[in-house]
Amino acid sequence: MSESKTAASSLKRHMGIQASRRIGNTAAYIVLVLISVIWLIPFVCILLQSFRVESTWQVGYVIPQQWGLDNYRNLMNTDFPKWYLNTLIMALVTAVLQTIIVLCMSYTLSRFRFKGRKFLMRFMLILGMFPGMLTMIILYRVLKDLGMTQANAVPGLILVYIASSGMGYYVSKGFFDTIPKSLDEAARIDGATRFQILKKIILPLSKPIVIYTVLTAFMGPWGDYVFARYVSFGTSAGMNVAVGMYNWLNKDQISSYYTMFCAGGVLVAIPVTALFLWLQKYYVEGVTGGAVKG
Amino acid sequence: MDSGRFFERGGPMIRYSDLEYLKLSKGKRFGYKIASFFASIPTALKNGLLAIWRFLGTVFRGIGSEIKDLVNTFKEGDLPTRVSYLVMGFGNLCRGQILRGLLFLLFEAVFILYMVTAGGYWLGMLPSLGLQGPTKELDPILDVFVTTYHDNSFKILLYGVLTIFFIIAFIYTWRLNIRQNKLAMQILKSGKKLKSGKDDLRSLVDDQFHKTLLALPLTGIIIFTVLPIVFMILVAFTNYDGTHDGFNNNLFTWVGWQNFNTMLSWQGSGGQSYAATFGEILSWTLIWAFFATFTNYFLGMMVAMLINKRGIRLKKLWRTILVVTIAIPQFISLLYVSKMFAKNGILNGFLLSMGWIQQALPFWEDPTWARITVIVINIWIGIPYLMLITTGILMNIPADLYESSRIDGANAWQQYTKITLPYMLFVTGPYLLTSFTSNMNNFNVIYLLTGGAPTNPAASSAAGTVGYTDLLITWLFKITMGAESQYYLASVVGILVFIVVAVISLVVYGAMPSIKNEEDFQ
Amino acid sequence: MAEVKLTNVKKIYDKNVVAVHDFNLTIHDKEFVVFVGPSGCGKSTTLRMIAGLEDISEGTLEIDGEVVNDLQPKDRDIAMVFQNYALYPHMTVFDNIAFSLRLKKMPEDEVYERVTRAAEILGITDYLLRKPRALSGGQRQRVAIGRAIVRDPKVFLMDEPLSNLDAKLRNQMRAEIILLRQKMNTTFVYVTHDQTEAMTLGDRIVIMQNGYIEQVGTPGEVFDRPRNLFVAGFIGSPQMNFFNAHLTRTGEEYTVEVHGHTVPLTDERAELLKKHGASTANVILGVRPEHLTICAENDPNSIDGEILVNEMMGSELHLHVRCGNDQNIILRVPTIDLSAEKRASLVAGNHIRFTFASKVAQVFDPATEKSLLWD
Repeated sequence: MSESKTAASSLKRHMGIQASRRIGNTAAYIVLVLISVIWLIPFVCILLQSFRVESTWQVGYVIPQQWGLDNYRNLMNTDFPKWYLNTLIMALVTAVLQTIIVLCMSYTLSRFRFKGRKFLMRFMLILGMFPGMLTMIILYRVLKDLGMTQANAVPGLILVYIASSGMGYYVSKGFFDTIPKSLDEAARIDGATRFQILKKIILPLSKPIVIYTVLTAFMGPWGDYVFARYVSFGTSAGMNVAVGMYNWLNKDQISSYYTMFCAGGVLVAIPVTALFLWLQKYYVEGVTGGAVKG
Repeated sequence: MDSGRFFERGGPMIRYSDLEYLKLSKGKRFGYKIASFFASIPTALKNGLLAIWRFLGTVFRGIGSEIKDLVNTFKEGDLPTRVSYLVMGFGNLCRGQILRGLLFLLFEAVFILYMVTAGGYWLGMLPSLGLQGPTKELDPILDVFVTTYHDNSFKILLYGVLTIFFIIAFIYTWRLNIRQNKLAMQILKSGKKLKSGKDDLRSLVDDQFHKTLLALPLTGIIIFTVLPIVFMILVAFTNYDGTHDGFNNNLFTWVGWQNFNTMLSWQGSGGQSYAATFGEILSWTLIWAFFATFTNYFLGMMVAMLINKRGIRLKKLWRTILVVTIAIPQFISLLYVSKMFAKNGILNGFLLSMGWIQQALPFWEDPTWARITVIVINIWIGIPYLMLITTGILMNIPADLYESSRIDGANAWQQYTKITLPYMLFVTGPYLLTSFTSNMNNFNVIYLLTGGAPTNPAASSAAGTVGYTDLLITWLFKITMGAESQYYLASVVGILVFIVVAVISLVVYGAMPSIKNEEDFQ
Repeated sequence: MAEVKLTNVKKIYDKNVVAVHDFNLTIHDKEFVVFVGPSGCGKSTTLRMIAGLEDISEGTLEIDGEVVNDLQPKDRDIAMVFQNYALYPHMTVFDNIAFSLRLKKMPEDEVYERVTRAAEILGITDYLLRKPRALSGGQRQRVAIGRAIVRDPKVFLMDEPLSNLDAKLRNQMRAEIILLRQKMNTTFVYVTHDQTEAMTLGDRIVIMQNGYIEQVGTPGEVFDRPRNLFVAGFIGSPQMNFFNAHLTRTGEEYTVEVHGHTVPLTDERAELLKKHGASTANVILGVRPEHLTICAENDPNSIDGEILVNEMMGSELHLHVRCGNDQNIILRVPTIDLSAEKRASLVAGNHIRFTFASKVAQVFDPATEKSLLWD
């Protein structure tokens, strides 16, 4: 009698666990769907509004009443292609050079024990506490003397982007630190120079972090506003997409450029996002690895 | 629990042994911890000062021993060594290290040439920052005013600093040259051979490879970060602004601590004082940084745990949806979202058309609404990133911790507060700190969302327009971009930002457990 | 092919931490020398100094008569096997072994020749195209050794190569290293913390502690005549028993008294003690567990002990015994001679009587911890 009772209660409890888990999972799914909607809705809106033909200003609805590619066509008559090209060039060059610099820095700090290493790392930590924007005032003047501002902003900006990129060594140093030192030692005994160790052992093992560095370096110039605004100051030909398109949303321009902003946004977002999705795995690896290292 | 030992010199408070501590009630333990913390502050301060004192001691002792060594090397040196005190690289050349010798000699020649032709002028002008500004004279023939340019304060300051850098580099190189002579004499004495130029070059890809690798990055950092920062610190002690730009208009000059006095004084000249404005913006900056960091952190962790939850399918899809949003450049998403929340934006349009509200909500018009809205939108920006970071760490928590806690009878909430959270905080401590300070300087989110709006009329009279959502960093930007371009003021703000960030970092670093084990990761 | 000579070698880390004090040793050509000691004794540091992975703070290191202090590892003509194998994860086994040869720009067909020969010796020919990840621990170990032997180095360095393997594989690899050594016919320096490895592999053993050499000698020497308490305790398993004892000298004769049991020492021991100049004093008597024998219960001339633990090892029993204030004395009793009755009596709580063979007894000075059987 009592046996069957406990069996029944344990069955009930068992079913309780299952049921509660099912309820929990359903709730989780609902939340996840909700989150996905919230996170994606602005981008869906941008995409939809970029096809709106009937008006160019902000309206209180999302789905266009008249669909068309007018906004994209109009984009071609503005400076947008120029900005786009500027940004693309900067992104490509920065991706290459910045990666080289960051890898040099982080490999050195991870693998060599030289006098002043600790000091160097501490010094860079302190440097990083100064608002970087402050340096822009003087860099602008210097670049201007060198003729690398306004219409010629692209080389000037590239210089600014890559020059101090050595300070962003943390993530890749963290990665290099996880490669056992004994590999270096084995290679040294096998007769490799430090350069050969980097080339033949460390770099082949560091594919994820190299790709991560390239990816973040490539994405940087697309979103930069402050420095690009300074260096290209007032000259449309030297602007990147962020600075150029920012002006479209001014009070006096927004009514005629709002939908074009959306179209431009789509054109900017698509290649960057596509690249990002393709290399997502490495990005995730870099971010998760880097944060744990601090 | 080592508080008993840790706060040994902690003053008059009662101290418990470990066993006594364990007998205390929860409330008493908490009180004891707080008391110990405050009791430790004097010791910590004392230790800090002692460390500085000791550091100064080592510096002076270092300089002393360097000078002693210089004298000794000269006394004991042979002729080439002694000549090297004047002609750098002479010793190397005499001993057959042609490459090194030539490099030293070349460096000396360049230095002397530079100092004679230009460096002397810049250095001489540095104390005054220029004597004569631009003058306008009537050209009698053309009958127009012609401007003649003379000194240029900006260049004097810039090249003056550069010259000082150069002199420091020269002294270092000169010292290196002497030391090499000493070493060479020792090596030759012990009967070994000196390195040839070829050996030197070869070692640059081998045992000295770090020098090769660091050369480019460090040069970039020195020229594009260190030099500008030194320059801008100096600017805080000048009156450099739009009307004193040092060249086209008036020269600028040293003003001492005047700008700091202005910034930190409570007497306003027509309206609110700078100090009051600064205080207002600083407090909002700290509030913002706090909420921006911790809302993201906890919500991001929750989303990560939700996706990691057992039985949830399509984990990869959920993650990808969030991660994609990282890829889209912030200026697009932020500017667009900012317009979505505008008075005539989509959100208000939607709410109005559904009849849920009668009037457009003042997302950007009301100070409190605006502040809350930026924090909420920042959550939207930050969660995907935090979700990624925390996912990685959550998966690293050893499963047996959860298993043993379940056997000990912990429920889900207890598991979270007793295992997950402490573990996360321990591992992500340094990340939280950097994220806090970078949020303090989060220009993009504020500037692209609100541009600082809505305007704060009381604060605005002091230095251009100031808004309720302005952070120190956006304020700084506005000051430099404003009509008067008060660069000196921007510099002062920048220095103050640095001090705030540095103090917070130091305090938090000291208190964080994972920092002490930093080397464990290596 | 090469003699390795260390003269007054020191390793000082910054902040004046001395890892190795004044290390003097000549490793002869084709000799197999084992550095053994507890962790942190400086054995690995010394090996790494020979390899060139650590700078030598003071002293000189010669290989083949040439001072190599300032030479890079690659210029010292050495090979090394690491504890964690340190195989290059992105290369196949073949490429791993060939790496050093290719760096030397050796023609590819000669590389092939040498790598396959090395692989054959080690029996890894079937795995040449696999990556290290796909290998078992023992196979990885073989690849690591292959990478070293393919270069035909002057000196072969091994840093705890077997400590990552499980017990069974370790025994097997140990035998293989002995075979390899016969084939290679070169100088070996081998570091381990395991005294069994040291005893079985080494021509000579260097026992280290806290950065000092405690004793250098053949396995037989260090086992039979340890120079001090540390060596006596470190070599041999289970470790040597130490009794508080009293040494008495009467003319040419020595007797030692342990817990009321007096034993005369053999002439050979007496000779050594005399040479040392030992006189009547309190000493520490060291006897290995296998040299303690159980006597009859009524034998008055023996030591009494209380059994604490009885460990059955199969062919023998390990009895942990307390004699007065000498705790944890261990006896190794072969089970083959024990009657069932006797065996049943050897349980915790019971008392036994035992004695020892004086011809193998060690005598130490309690103050200096040095052996009185050495000069």
